[in-house]
Amino acid sequence: MSDKDDNDIVPQHALMQAKDAKEVLSEMHLRPENLPKIFSTDPQAAKLGAKPGDIIKIKRHDYGNTYDIYRLVTEE
Amino acid sequence: MQAEAINYIRFGILSPDDIKKLSVAKLTVPDTYNEDGYPIDGGLLDQRLGVIDPGLVCKTCGARAKTCPGHFGHIELVRPVIHSEFSKVLYAILKATCFECHRILLDPKQVQALTESENPEAVADADEEHAQRKSKRAQVKSGKRCPYCKAVQPKLKFSQPTYFNIGDRRLKPDEIRDMVAKVSRDDLALLGIDPSISDPSWLVLSSLLVPPVNVRPSITLESGERSEDDLTHKLVDIMRINQRLEQNINAGAPQIIIDDLWELLQYHVTAYFNNETSGIPPARHRSGRALKTLAQRLKGKEGRFRYNLSGKRVNYSARTVISVDPYVDINEVGVPLAIAEKLTVPFYVTQWNIEKAKEFLTSATYPTIINIISHDGKRKRVIDGNREELIKEVAPGYIIERQLMDGDIVLFNRQPTLHRISIMAHKVKVLPGRTFRINYCTTSPYNADFDGDEMNLHVPQTLEAQAEARLLMDVQFQIFSPRDGGAIIANSEDGIMGMYALTKDGMHLTKDEASYLLGIAGIYEMPEHSKNGTYSGKDIFSMLLPKDINFEIKTSYGPIKIKNGRLMEGVITKEAYGKGNLLFERIVTDYGFDRLREFIFSSSKLADAYATLSGVTVGVKEYAIDNELEQKRVKIIHETFAKVTEFIEQYKSKKLEPFIGYTLRESLERMIIAELNIARNNAGETLVKHESSNNSAVEMARSGSRGNVLNLEQMSMFLGQQATLSGGRIKRGYYTNRVLPHIPPNDIAPVSRGFVTTSFYSGMHPVELFMHAVGSRGSEVYKALLTGRSGYLYRRLSNALQDYYVRKDLSVRDVNNNIIQTIYGGDAMNPMRSRFAKEVK
Repeated sequence: MSDKDDNDIVPQHALMQAKDAKEVLSEMHLRPENLPKIFSTDPQAAKLGAKPGDIIKIKRHDYGNTYDIYRLVTEE
Repeated sequence: MQAEAINYIRFGILSPDDIKKLSVAKLTVPDTYNEDGYPIDGGLLDQRLGVIDPGLVCKTCGARAKTCPGHFGHIELVRPVIHSEFSKVLYAILKATCFECHRILLDPKQVQALTESENPEAVADADEEHAQRKSKRAQVKSGKRCPYCKAVQPKLKFSQPTYFNIGDRRLKPDEIRDMVAKVSRDDLALLGIDPSISDPSWLVLSSLLVPPVNVRPSITLESGERSEDDLTHKLVDIMRINQRLEQNINAGAPQIIIDDLWELLQYHVTAYFNNETSGIPPARHRSGRALKTLAQRLKGKEGRFRYNLSGKRVNYSARTVISVDPYVDINEVGVPLAIAEKLTVPFYVTQWNIEKAKEFLTSATYPTIINIISHDGKRKRVIDGNREELIKEVAPGYIIERQLMDGDIVLFNRQPTLHRISIMAHKVKVLPGRTFRINYCTTSPYNADFDGDEMNLHVPQTLEAQAEARLLMDVQFQIFSPRDGGAIIANSEDGIMGMYALTKDGMHLTKDEASYLLGIAGIYEMPEHSKNGTYSGKDIFSMLLPKDINFEIKTSYGPIKIKNGRLMEGVITKEAYGKGNLLFERIVTDYGFDRLREFIFSSSKLADAYATLSGVTVGVKEYAIDNELEQKRVKIIHETFAKVTEFIEQYKSKKLEPFIGYTLRESLERMIIAELNIARNNAGETLVKHESSNNSAVEMARSGSRGNVLNLEQMSMFLGQQATLSGGRIKRGYYTNRVLPHIPPNDIAPVSRGFVTTSFYSGMHPVELFMHAVGSRGSEVYKALLTGRSGYLYRRLSNALQDYYVRKDLSVRDVNNNIIQTIYGGDAMNPMRSRFAKEVK
């Protein structure tokens, strides 16, 4: 699957480096399992080749705001 | 404070040994008191079980009534009985095991398959585990022959609550106990039972635990007669039968008699656990009332959980009828002196306020001190006798409980507490009288009126709670709705009318009138501008506004222009001043909540005063119409009906052009409805245009104080189309396709389908009245159903969301620190501030 297949409204997903993920988690005072989840079989996660335990960063744009959310990849 | 983490909670069943260990006394006498009114030893109120009479000493712990925690006893049953609440578990075990060798009715292969499928990690949560066990039991069910001893399995019949039969033979509890006791540990594990904490043989009771007397206190009536608790009554029944059974066994009575008594014992024990067990008649009191036994104490709305643990009664609260007082500020509450004298607020004595504390203590009348709490936490009541002594004793670190005074912060609540603004913080204003007084501008968030409504008042008891209430819950911070940010605390009805009448073009007041009104509003200077010694209403209104405010808005009445704190143009109507107005948002943005509160309070006083001064009279004459208007009314109806008839003709001759996506018949219906709507709007416009400003009903509608054009129109012109729930015209009725026998079959003319051409003033014809009743009934039923359904929906929603919170980083989290929303609402907007603030940090 390529980027072309994505609809405009699908926000940009990116796999996080372990180091960056750790930083974000400590900043938010979170353990990985506190994050919202995403299946490893989710089209976006699968495209990134994400494995369970990885953290995906999603650039969302709601109501004119742009912000990042983080999801923990889990097994379906 | 950090709570300790609980690793697990394990529930098990009491073994006979556990019962013996817990018990301090074996009870043998099925009675309570002897002739002297003294508890019988070995009876149900044995003093070893604890004491409830003041003065007596517990024979187990030596403590008195207040400090003795109570101790369990036990009854030894001469014949065992089945624990009725667990009979289904016994049935499941019996069904799954062989009647001869008591092994599980599964061959080794099936057992292996079961054990292998049991992957401990896959059993993620309790629900799943439960489902797994259930399925296991179901699998075990089938099997005609034991795979081990090859014995043919008889058909076991179980009937509620405790009967097990094989054919005609009834299995006795002791037989059942022996059978389940022989099932091996491994086989029980396959059934999901751990015999070390809940051995199935313990489900057949040979001794019964008797709760302490504290749990079932007896009460002494005025006549000196004793009345026992329901549980005690039931236990007496159990012991009586137990004793009779024993005597009969010892006397060698025939088996039938013994079996009957045994069954009776089983019944009493069953009723003791749960008097609503299906299959048994509930045990009754002499009066015919069903006894409240163990399960009834816990279960349901009035049970221990929902009545005593989820909901509790509180101290430091008051409740009385509410009434209005426009001179009580919107964030105040008028509290009767009688209540203020009873409620207390803690006053923390320090070296800086000890003089004040002593001053309170010295006073014998309101405001004074009710209690004094010393360093060791002992609470003493202040009475005239010890006042002098306490004044000397009081020192920094003491807490004195003083009576409620003006300015104290309290929480005020009206049920049903449907939303956050059903509880708001008010400042106390002690007043004479017996009712709570509130400003009528605050009735809408509480949904209160003064026809006998009662409200509750709570006094926060710590400085933290007081600060929190003041900063978060004060009425002035709740002026804007958390739904959409529109104003929900605002003037209404008479207040709107007063402001409308005052600010109308050409309204001038004499100096006397103007100063009277301003004085009431608490303003002691005159407007700058005057004409021939008179002041315009607009200038008087302007005095209430912040001095340099600028505001412009277009209302349906006309534009409003406020420049430099002066109303230059426009009339103040509900749109500018009532609920949902935009003027308040301007005031709060530029001048803050305190100024807005002040504006609402002072303007409401002024508006009321002016409404009182000018007066508004509404009578039937407001709704009567003259000949000219009557002719217009007839004309509108005629024209509309002519058009509808034309549509029907076109439809019949198939000349009607259908709407896209609709059949010809549907299009016709839509066209008719559209035409009838036009007629209604037309009538409304005609009416308002025709009536002058002398008609106060029309003036009320214009100002927005009460009523709208549709109300007027229905009273003066015609009622219009009566709608059904589905939104279409009324059509259900006889099979000849008519609503009533007075209508020609298949007629779809407006009057045949619920269009009412008469008004409330003129009165309706019978057919029209019927149509109106159809509509009214529909909306009434709908309203009742909707409130019920939305109430339950809200309950579920609030229970689900109750402990989510917005953290400092604007993420929404639950108590386990799980992220619910990474950013609150996706935009971090607080709807209560959203109309005038971008982002609240």
